[in-house]
Amino acid sequence: MIPEIKLNILQELISTSSKEEIIWINGYLNGLVSGHGGQVTAGGHGGADNAQPVKKISILYGTETGNSKKLALHFTASARQHGLNARCTALEQYRHEDLAREGYLFVIISTQGEGEPPETAEKFYDFLHTTETRLENLNYSVLALGDSSYPLFCKTGEDVDLQFQRLGAKRVVPIQKCDVDFDQPAELWFKSVFDLFKDANSPRDHAPQPIVRNGEAKKHAKKNIDGVITRSVNLNDKDSTRRTWHIEIRANEDIEYEVGDSIAIIPSNRHEVVERIIELGKANPDEQVTLAKSSGTVRELLTGKLNICYLLGSAVKKYAALAGHEIPDIRMDLVDLLRIYPLKDGTSFSEVLGILHPIAPRLYSVSSSPKMEPREVHITVSLNGFLKEDEQHYGLCSSFLGDLPVNTVISFYVHRNRSFKLPDPARDIIMVGPGTGIAPFRGFLQERDVEAATGRNWLFFGERNFTSDFFYQTEIQQYHQTGVLQKVNVAFSRDTDKKVYVQHRMKEHGEDLFEWLERGAVFYVAGSKVPMSHEVEETLLEIIVEHGRKSAAEAKDYLEHMKKEGRYQKDVY
Amino acid sequence: MSDKQHTVVERIKLASDGLRGSLTASLKDELTGAIREDDQTLIKFHGMYQQDDRDRREERSEKRLEWLYSFMIRLRLPGGFMTGEQWLGLHHIAGEHATEVIKITTRQTIQLHGILKSHIKPTLRSFDTLKLDSIAACGDVNRNVTCSSHPMESPIHQQVFEYADKISLMALPKTRSYYEIWLDHEPLLSKEEEIDPLYQDRYLPRKFKIAIAIPPNNDVDAFSNDIALIAIIENNELKGFNIAAGGGLGTTHGNSSTYPRLATVLGFCDTEEKVLKAVYEIITIQRDHGDRTDRKRARLKYTIDRLGVDHFKEELERRCGFELEEARPYAFTKRVDHFGWHPGPGGKWHYTAFVETGRVTDDKRASFKTAFYEVAATGKASFRFTANQNVIVSDVDEADKALVHTILERYGVVAVTESSGEMRKNAIACVAFNTCPLALAEAQRYLPTLITRLEPILEKHGVINDAISIRMTGCPNGCGRPTLSEIGLIGTGYGKYNLHLGGDRNGLRLNRKYKENLEEPEILSELDGLIGAYSREQQSGESFGDFVIRKSIV
Repeated sequence: MIPEIKLNILQELISTSSKEEIIWINGYLNGLVSGHGGQVTAGGHGGADNAQPVKKISILYGTETGNSKKLALHFTASARQHGLNARCTALEQYRHEDLAREGYLFVIISTQGEGEPPETAEKFYDFLHTTETRLENLNYSVLALGDSSYPLFCKTGEDVDLQFQRLGAKRVVPIQKCDVDFDQPAELWFKSVFDLFKDANSPRDHAPQPIVRNGEAKKHAKKNIDGVITRSVNLNDKDSTRRTWHIEIRANEDIEYEVGDSIAIIPSNRHEVVERIIELGKANPDEQVTLAKSSGTVRELLTGKLNICYLLGSAVKKYAALAGHEIPDIRMDLVDLLRIYPLKDGTSFSEVLGILHPIAPRLYSVSSSPKMEPREVHITVSLNGFLKEDEQHYGLCSSFLGDLPVNTVISFYVHRNRSFKLPDPARDIIMVGPGTGIAPFRGFLQERDVEAATGRNWLFFGERNFTSDFFYQTEIQQYHQTGVLQKVNVAFSRDTDKKVYVQHRMKEHGEDLFEWLERGAVFYVAGSKVPMSHEVEETLLEIIVEHGRKSAAEAKDYLEHMKKEGRYQKDVY
Repeated sequence: MSDKQHTVVERIKLASDGLRGSLTASLKDELTGAIREDDQTLIKFHGMYQQDDRDRREERSEKRLEWLYSFMIRLRLPGGFMTGEQWLGLHHIAGEHATEVIKITTRQTIQLHGILKSHIKPTLRSFDTLKLDSIAACGDVNRNVTCSSHPMESPIHQQVFEYADKISLMALPKTRSYYEIWLDHEPLLSKEEEIDPLYQDRYLPRKFKIAIAIPPNNDVDAFSNDIALIAIIENNELKGFNIAAGGGLGTTHGNSSTYPRLATVLGFCDTEEKVLKAVYEIITIQRDHGDRTDRKRARLKYTIDRLGVDHFKEELERRCGFELEEARPYAFTKRVDHFGWHPGPGGKWHYTAFVETGRVTDDKRASFKTAFYEVAATGKASFRFTANQNVIVSDVDEADKALVHTILERYGVVAVTESSGEMRKNAIACVAFNTCPLALAEAQRYLPTLITRLEPILEKHGVINDAISIRMTGCPNGCGRPTLSEIGLIGTGYGKYNLHLGGDRNGLRLNRKYKENLEEPEILSELDGLIGAYSREQQSGESFGDFVIRKSIV
């Protein structure tokens, strides 16, 4: 993409620049790219002198027939055109505790039958009526939809407005009530909202951002962070053959990570197995023990620090020596060793602990962007993947993350993935992420959305069944409707007699795909290494041969060249 | 009226290019199981509704999955008749593409639920091979034409019944879009063939329903229709039809300008040509004068009341070019399905099976679906559907009657039909939850339970064999004709119903609202008191509906 010598100069320049200087350079270059010559003036695109943070607004909708949703999506798209960082959420998906953190909140909600809220908004509606949380920092307005042939016209919208007043929030635009012909009054309300920000945000003020995405300059020390699980949802519908969790973890500090990174979590061992070990080993669970790398009570160590599952041969050997048994050279769970080959009376249990290795952390691709919510990290975890891995390495002793209840505190650290990063915002990207391979791309999309990136985005997703396994379907639809995703293609292998996978969809859209590559798009693939990523690569080569009119060897070179330029990135496992 | 804007639906119809809209693009959209908003209006004209499983909305939203969208497909089945072969095909289609359940509607047709977007075309193609279609089964057009169902109603039942098909064909939209979109027929070279003198490019302001009744049985609830044709038969000869217009039962809660109305008898026509012409021109008057600015006031009943019945009749006669004769005398003295075996014309036998809420399925009690399948497989019977959602296993030769009966008996159809109480057998409930987007309260999933709780009350008061009509709908739109019952329950909110009383038993008098927003305990205690009084103070032959009127209870 850029010769190494130029890159070195650029990197040197950056490494010696202050953050403010980098921001200025960014604005300068943006100006250049968007055709403003070098004359970047105040109020211009990304002007360095007035680089203001983009105003964040939250848009919530409660819908029964889809009208509120339609308006909310339209409003969100317009807000973005007005340079606002707008986030649109369905009320049933909104976390009530986030209210206290909102700055600007706009609610679009309809009224049903006898003055009732839409079914999907009932929980939010009830919450507003019962909460005592003060919302003094909240600026809000309500767009109420209704039907004037019913006596309690727009009642729900009025109720919501009233409750925000009660909680001390500031009404920045009066409530707008709309009858069945809602388009015009809604437009008026949108305009009033945008007028609020007229002075604050000139159109398309980009948030300050580092200019070079590839190769993070700073070195990060591995830092353990405690986070609390704030949401844990099985993304598959009830009749699915899959079990996949979306988990949101919140810390008390900003979490330093980038999209494409992973987090490492140390899985805890199952409670019942730990208790059985304590019983069999006649151990005192509360005894303090200090080992080479960790210390704590026996129960704490067995639960959260030491691997008790499928012990390595070396550990089994040490155990055999300690217990004085002949034990075959195989891997076993600690609980089975204790049961079949009991310890001699009087053996100190801390000696057993000394034999054990620490629990290996598990890596999960992050499925969020820190630019969306700096104190949060989201992951997408598949039970099927967990079980597969578990059978190979761990037995069934450790707990599955998806089984942990909300409010559980877990410890994690950020694991950098420098070779899986977004390019500059103007560059097109193609993302192939079937199954949990979708995870990093959800983060990518959040980031491209928040940054109002001008590059085009194309997503390929695949799973088994459309109705039950379309991960993040409503979010993907919203990105598509608001123009963040230009293209999305999906493949559901179990819906038809003939199995269809992402690579088939790639092939169908081969001509377009090759054109994107020719225009410099970065191609990403995430998810299972075998067979998916191999088949995707083969298909990619076929597309280059067919639409680039190249020989097989030339196609290989083409791909190699893409790799060198950092335009073919993989996150496969 | 003229200064008010036409509704959004009017704009969609006009811009639809013969009901095509962007349906083809909607079908191709991979990201959603739904179709585009405007297409949701247009697909009705092709006999389908987009629905979603309302029980699952919240849970699916939490999972970032869109609502569980699916489609209901309703067949165009004039007079409610199907061959045995067609039933076999329908049986397989219901299993392969829908929820397995075959639902008999209150207007003598079949609908299948839960069809995913990707299954619509295969479903309609399969129907096409059976010579069945769903054209104009919903939407602002003339919908399925109903007709007194049982051949025993008259020796010339067949002659009357054929009018249903004639009217249906006459009032079918001319657009070929159904064949292009769903059956992949080549587009027309010239749109001339599609020119539609009846519907033009505007279609009707609202849905339009036509029924044909053979007195004395008003099984089709003739007067609830936009047009009712009452067959006048003398000495086994069809003399013609009395023509009534302006019926419709739907209302909107809280909107006092909406009301149920029974059709007004306008006059009599003798020849087929005149009958069809009159029907045609009633439709054109509604097309030209119906209110296109307010869908809640767009049915023919409001048009007639706005123009005045006399003026309406004059306009009709002007358009027809002939005058209607004075209506001939007729009398509706019952509104029933004839359960069990009955002989009809030509020595054929017919067995009417009681299908509770019209759901043909296999359950713990009986296996209706298997039974009808096996009957159909014998090739010895056809199928008719009644406006009370029951099935008539039809046209069976004397020699095959025993065989068919054995099958019906083996799978419990006979037992259910014979053992069900009178109130239950005359009850109607609409679909409502979980698929109907309009539902405010339960209906078909709940009415059977409510009746089970009412039966001890009927028993206690000694009226268990009294066929008191009870009907329940989940909203005030009237699909289950609740305002034409002795006890009408109209949903207002989840678990809440307005209780209507005082309809007659033959569908000739509307009931009236007695109390609002009752929940089950109140419904049971109100009816306990009222039925107790009815049992004590009833005059000879007096129905419950007549009793509450005489006593001025409503």
